[in-house]
Amino acid sequence: MKHSPSILLSCLLALILPIPSLTAFADDNLIVYSGRSDKFVKPVIAEFTRQTGIKVTLHTGKSAALLNKLRIEGARTDADLFLSNDAGNLQHGSDWNLFHAMTPSLVAPIETSYRAADNTWVGLSARARVLVVNTQGPWADKLDSIFDLADPALDGKLGITNSSNGSYIAGTTVYMLAAGKDKTRQWLRGMKANVNGKVFNKHRQIVKAVANGKLQVGLVNHYYIYRHLDKYPDAPIKIVVPDQSKDGMGVAWNVAGIAISKHTTKTVLAEKLVAFLISATGQKQFAEVNREYPTRTGVTASPVIPAASSYRVANVPMSTLGRQRDATLDLIEEVGMP
Amino acid sequence: MTSPLLALTGTLRAGRHFTSLGGLASAVVLLATIPLLYVIYNSLQLSIDEWFGLWSARLPALLWNTLSLAVLVAIGCVLLGVSSAWWIARRDFPGRKLATWLMILPLTVPTYVFAHIYTTLLEEDGWLGRLWLSLFGETTSLPDLYNIWGVTLILSLAGFSYVFLLARAALSQPTRSLEEAARIQGASTLEVFWRVNLPLLRPAIAAGLAVVVLHVLSDFGAVSMLRFQTFTLSIYLQMSGRFDYQAAAGLSLILVILSLTFLVLERFFRSRQRYYSARHSRRQPLRRASPLETSLIWLWLGLITLLAFGLPLAWMLSWSWQAWAGNLINAEFWGYAGNSLMVAVIAATLAVIAAFPVAFYNARKRSVGSQTLLQFSSVGFVLPGPVIALGILSFLLAQLPLLYGGLTALLIALVIRFLPLAVQSQDAALAQLTPSVEQASRSLGTGPLETLWRVVLPMIRGSMATAWVLVFIDTLKELPATLILRPTGFDTLPVRIWIEASEEMLELAAPAALMLVIGTLPVLWIMMKNHSVDTRSD
Repeated sequence: MKHSPSILLSCLLALILPIPSLTAFADDNLIVYSGRSDKFVKPVIAEFTRQTGIKVTLHTGKSAALLNKLRIEGARTDADLFLSNDAGNLQHGSDWNLFHAMTPSLVAPIETSYRAADNTWVGLSARARVLVVNTQGPWADKLDSIFDLADPALDGKLGITNSSNGSYIAGTTVYMLAAGKDKTRQWLRGMKANVNGKVFNKHRQIVKAVANGKLQVGLVNHYYIYRHLDKYPDAPIKIVVPDQSKDGMGVAWNVAGIAISKHTTKTVLAEKLVAFLISATGQKQFAEVNREYPTRTGVTASPVIPAASSYRVANVPMSTLGRQRDATLDLIEEVGMP
Repeated sequence: MTSPLLALTGTLRAGRHFTSLGGLASAVVLLATIPLLYVIYNSLQLSIDEWFGLWSARLPALLWNTLSLAVLVAIGCVLLGVSSAWWIARRDFPGRKLATWLMILPLTVPTYVFAHIYTTLLEEDGWLGRLWLSLFGETTSLPDLYNIWGVTLILSLAGFSYVFLLARAALSQPTRSLEEAARIQGASTLEVFWRVNLPLLRPAIAAGLAVVVLHVLSDFGAVSMLRFQTFTLSIYLQMSGRFDYQAAAGLSLILVILSLTFLVLERFFRSRQRYYSARHSRRQPLRRASPLETSLIWLWLGLITLLAFGLPLAWMLSWSWQAWAGNLINAEFWGYAGNSLMVAVIAATLAVIAAFPVAFYNARKRSVGSQTLLQFSSVGFVLPGPVIALGILSFLLAQLPLLYGGLTALLIALVIRFLPLAVQSQDAALAQLTPSVEQASRSLGTGPLETLWRVVLPMIRGSMATAWVLVFIDTLKELPATLILRPTGFDTLPVRIWIEASEEMLELAAPAALMLVIGTLPVLWIMMKNHSVDTRSD
């Protein structure tokens, strides 16, 4: 028994330290930090790989967490691209100088309001903040603006998500910029009184509660309505695209989009993936799996949802969603939304 | 931050045998404090005004929420854990062995899975929701879990097994001679319990509660699913909602101070009394339970089992069946399971090895320095997982960029996170080891290392196994640090559960949760076997 403790120490260090990298990636492999559900991304990526032979590894997580990781990793990052469900996160990344500006001709087919001014990110699909209304209740035809949700008559009849939901925050930012801070504050206060502290964790549950008549109206992303109708085609619910009157602000959109990491050595390959996602077929597929709106002009959305050309979208550039998020969070906290 | 350094230099001057041990212990603790240094560095960037803003706007509510949750969960865990441990350790009834298993199986279910299952079950078309509505009428509103009572329920069900394990181990110790002595002196059963058993149980309950409270303070899964604003959730929201690392670090620092205060107090009260077990004590057969007692015991244990394991298991099986029927269990799924297993085995082994010098140094030294080291080794447990992950990430990238990539970062973070579990259980075991045994070995001319190898380690073998199993289980379930630090494209079962559950893909989340349960069974079996070996050897 002539062990010396220093041997123990070196064994310990030897065990902890040099555990080799298990995942070695070939040069023709793309790595995407993806903040969007695998279910929606995988089919599109599979099609891309089929067409080009380029393999793609998805590293899935929450958008914000992946953005944090990308920021801290800096030049050491494995990521070639960053895919996010939220324009706010994409713009944050741009502001932190994490992304590579894409060739202007590449992203030209996407309208300027759905991409970064310096082309460091580009929006791929859009979702609308809409009302889901029970068609058999007294409120079936009475609601046409999100500001109606503050009506005290809706006490106990309104469903909203908790205030840490990303779509909820992004929507509130749009309202704040389109209708002003004071009006938005009043609106939040009215809703707070109407929900009596009872908010939902999932949009799905709001749609369900409206469908079975426990609630009359909910504020949700449009695709949740159609997911419910897939399962229960006869559910007594309908979509109301709000704020379409002559002086209304229009409906709030938020986009999912993609950016190329500044530190990738595979810019050409990465742009190929972006080009595919922007192409008419890529756009159709990317948006359709979740019944969202393609951001490329001329590519139509699923016929089930209201055509984008049939209504007006609030005139708020997506790039402001990130920059104004802190102000929105302040407002939400000031009101004390649950 | 100088305390470990002071301890380090202090030990260098101390006796020869302790030098290397103290050095090792200090090295481990220094590694464990890396995330804390990151937190301190970041919170130093906060201005006085920002501190004041944090203080007035957030702290009162956060403190109240966190502390009241910790107290309620502690009460819940003692109620469930000590009552079940008492019956199982002190009465012989049919199915006693099975009952032991049923009380520890809840450890295999992560808190976020508990929270997810119970919120799903309590929806209007969930099993419990439908039961509730048919019992109390369609118009009644369902119980709401999104408050402190819901979180207390979830965390108590998920955590009471820790108290059970330690209380059962203590109750199985041969203390009959003391009880008999008390009885001879005319004490009643209640008095014996109050004045003999309870004081003897106190170290075990305290150690169990320390584990539970630390779990509560660092829990991320349940509080984020149930949106209960504790420090962990608030810190996470600061980082992910506002990208405000400084405010997150400031809150983390306060959380660390809070937790360390708790640990110091707990240790202070525990260290005032120390009990050595007399190994030669007589062992008596357990008293057989009367039929009435047996039914009461099983009624109580059955209720606990139903809530803490039966319902979650039934839910997992039912959804896993749908996944199986839909051919969703494929090679990818087995890959996630393999990844989880590999990470948990390596991390648990490293943590047990790393914990030993800290625990042993403190057990033999019992000095301020060794105590300080022990406290600081707990730091990983009281920092929220995401904060540890970011701390390790920043440290490695800045200081040792060559080590970045692969599993290194994740393993370091996991060892740091769960080191306290290993330290706690080894320290508890070493505290019960009579120093005279070691002294006897040394007086017979055995060297310190041989004494360690041939006397100390065999005697605490059971506790080492327990420590390994506890770390293994927690690592297998670990979510927040793994989410951030896993190598690119490397998914574990918890990561998949979290991804699928947040997308409402229950048929994909359930089989992964079920795999966690199944994967934990063999190690639980090892641990239980060790326990029975320990008791037999008396």
